[in-house]
Amino acid sequence: MVDGMVGATRRALAAVAALAAFGLGVSAQAQQVVKIGAVYPLSGNSASTGNYAKMAFEMGADIINNGNPELAKVMPLAKGGGLPGLKGAKIQMVIADNQGTPAAGQNQTLRLITEEKVAAVICCYQSGITLTASAVAERYGIPFLNAESVAANLTERGFKWFFRTTPVAADFAKAYSTFLNEQKAAGRKVDSIAIVHENTEYGNSVSSVLADAFAKANLPVTQKIAYSANSTDVQPQVLQLKEKNPDVVIFISYTSDAILYAKTMKELNWKPAILIADDGGFNDPAFVKAMGSVTEGLISRSVFASGKPGSVAAILDDLYKKKTGGDGLDDVSARVLQAFFVMAEAINNAGSTDPAKIRDALRAVELKPEQLVAGYDGVKFDDKGQNVQASTLITQMRNGNYVSVWPKARATHELVLPYKGW
Amino acid sequence: MTRRRLIQILLVALVLAYPLVVAGSPVWARLGALVLLAAIGASAWNIVGGYAGQVSVGHSVFFGIGAYSAVVTYTQLGLPPIAGAPIGMALSVLVAAVIGVPTLKLSGHYFSMATIAVAELVRVLSSTSEFLGGAQGLGGPPVPRSVLDLSFISATPYYYIFLAVLAGLLWLTHAIEHGRMGFYLRAIKDSERAARSLGVAAGRYKLYAYMLSAAFTALAGSLYLTMFGFVDPESGFGILISVKMVVMAALGGAGQLFGPLVGALILVPLEELSNSYLGGQGAGLTFVVYGAIILIIARFLPSGLLSLLERRRSAASRAAKTVDGHAD
Repeated sequence: MVDGMVGATRRALAAVAALAAFGLGVSAQAQQVVKIGAVYPLSGNSASTGNYAKMAFEMGADIINNGNPELAKVMPLAKGGGLPGLKGAKIQMVIADNQGTPAAGQNQTLRLITEEKVAAVICCYQSGITLTASAVAERYGIPFLNAESVAANLTERGFKWFFRTTPVAADFAKAYSTFLNEQKAAGRKVDSIAIVHENTEYGNSVSSVLADAFAKANLPVTQKIAYSANSTDVQPQVLQLKEKNPDVVIFISYTSDAILYAKTMKELNWKPAILIADDGGFNDPAFVKAMGSVTEGLISRSVFASGKPGSVAAILDDLYKKKTGGDGLDDVSARVLQAFFVMAEAINNAGSTDPAKIRDALRAVELKPEQLVAGYDGVKFDDKGQNVQASTLITQMRNGNYVSVWPKARATHELVLPYKGW
Repeated sequence: MTRRRLIQILLVALVLAYPLVVAGSPVWARLGALVLLAAIGASAWNIVGGYAGQVSVGHSVFFGIGAYSAVVTYTQLGLPPIAGAPIGMALSVLVAAVIGVPTLKLSGHYFSMATIAVAELVRVLSSTSEFLGGAQGLGGPPVPRSVLDLSFISATPYYYIFLAVLAGLLWLTHAIEHGRMGFYLRAIKDSERAARSLGVAAGRYKLYAYMLSAAFTALAGSLYLTMFGFVDPESGFGILISVKMVVMAALGGAGQLFGPLVGALILVPLEELSNSYLGGQGAGLTFVVYGAIILIIARFLPSGLLSLLERRRSAASRAAKTVDGHAD
């Protein structure tokens, strides 16, 4: 009995000692580590996207902590050895799962801020979750950077700690209208535009933003076709297009219907001079693999295009392929990685983990296109926290892959029109 | 008996003092509020699902109506969201009557299926309604304009608001349980045909229970909105909301006053803690652990955790009787 008790006491003391040692170790280390929180959908409907984002964060932290000689030539922070502005402090990503629900997003953001004591938060993919999670960061006064939520109202809330690097729906529409007007100026016919969109929230909202932007840019939308993304036959819609024969067609679709449209247009042997797909299903790897060969010259948008060899984007694309085992950066992972580097830059410039100093540094961030992995015109935040230089690239399908063709400054290939198809 | 009383007093004191006990940790304070909020929803479901035995798997309809009423009160009228709570409750009672009259005639699984169908229909409709913000959803006041917006940085005020609502709901449930309606509902649950043959107006009482349950589920929805400040079709009308209410009540003990509370007390921390400690790995481990624990409880305690207590108590009283017998 007594022996047992002594043993237990000894064990308890040993445990306390171990804990104390562990605690000391952690606090000694804490000075050299900057924690950045990220709350992404690692489970639920968008789990695949979230896990690709997680890999982008891990890769970004690895580059800053351990360096990459090739990248260091174009990117000062990639020299390795952590953040020079904080005496070589390493970045530690604390990644949490928002489970695709606004409630979990808010709970986890609170945990990262109050328990993990992160210096800043990058969050959350879905607009609704970004809305609830950023409210917590605002109340606690922690810099909150959003990489990819496009709901316009996020920057209209008068928040002082909220920043967003991504372009929003209106920016995409503006890119298309500028692009089309340039084609018109170059002598192509852009007298009739058809918008074909799937008929739930996604298709409806994007098509109305596009129609508004085109009306402002003097581009005539002559036909609007709504359809159900679940339909198994799109011949009626393609026949409607064939009858009116518009110069430009824009599709807003999910994946399976995108494939169906590509097939049906080939079967009915009809194609417009300019065929545009607004991201979505047409950028899905499944579409590119299945239909890339019969949609030569298809135009789409993406904030990412690998770019010229030796550029920041190309080097990071190669590194990311190694990290994921083959998948390169895409529209979302490039935006995530870009947000991470913006945050690292700001913390480094702040030279401190003090939230207010990081916020001021974010406000002062100014990055040029050649320093970016995403295809923006730059990064510079306005008073509302929106990146005013956020923009998109226009890409074109060439030999089964999308390459950037517009704007000219960041294009790797010449634009080829009219649409060739099959 | 005095020992039981003492335990009761201690439990009540613990519940009242909880936010003070965990004052240093906002995460644990919030966990307490989340447990109570979930318990309100599950206790509301318990009235019709537990006591009357009508297993609705579409209670998210009422939760969503409550949440949307609160947010629309803000977006359309500029009033504090909580002012929408009575509107949501009234609307839910009305909708419950409309859904209940035809569906409560169905028995067993058919009733459950019908409630799922209605909930899914409402979810899809809400995602196409511009008034309700479509698939993007609607947000409450981004920054509190006054204390009436009930937007607090600390979870402690929510904890006490939710506690008061839950206490009121449990008191009401207790009164029903021991009143005429409680006997009717239990009779209906055991055998509706037998109850009818004894003169119980089964249809009418089922509907009353359904409407009352709907009103409090809507209140839970409005409270959810004041705390989180955002609702979209999935977080308002999603089927997971309904399922969680059912699972919580069943886990703790459906048809028992404190069953849903016990269920919430187990499930909510389990969900939050497993997500906090396992979620970051990104392998969906959270749900594996969560599901496994539900499975274990369902396998070994099919009538809920509270049945464990009952079993011990009846074993103890049996033992006491034997001792008495010997004394005789």
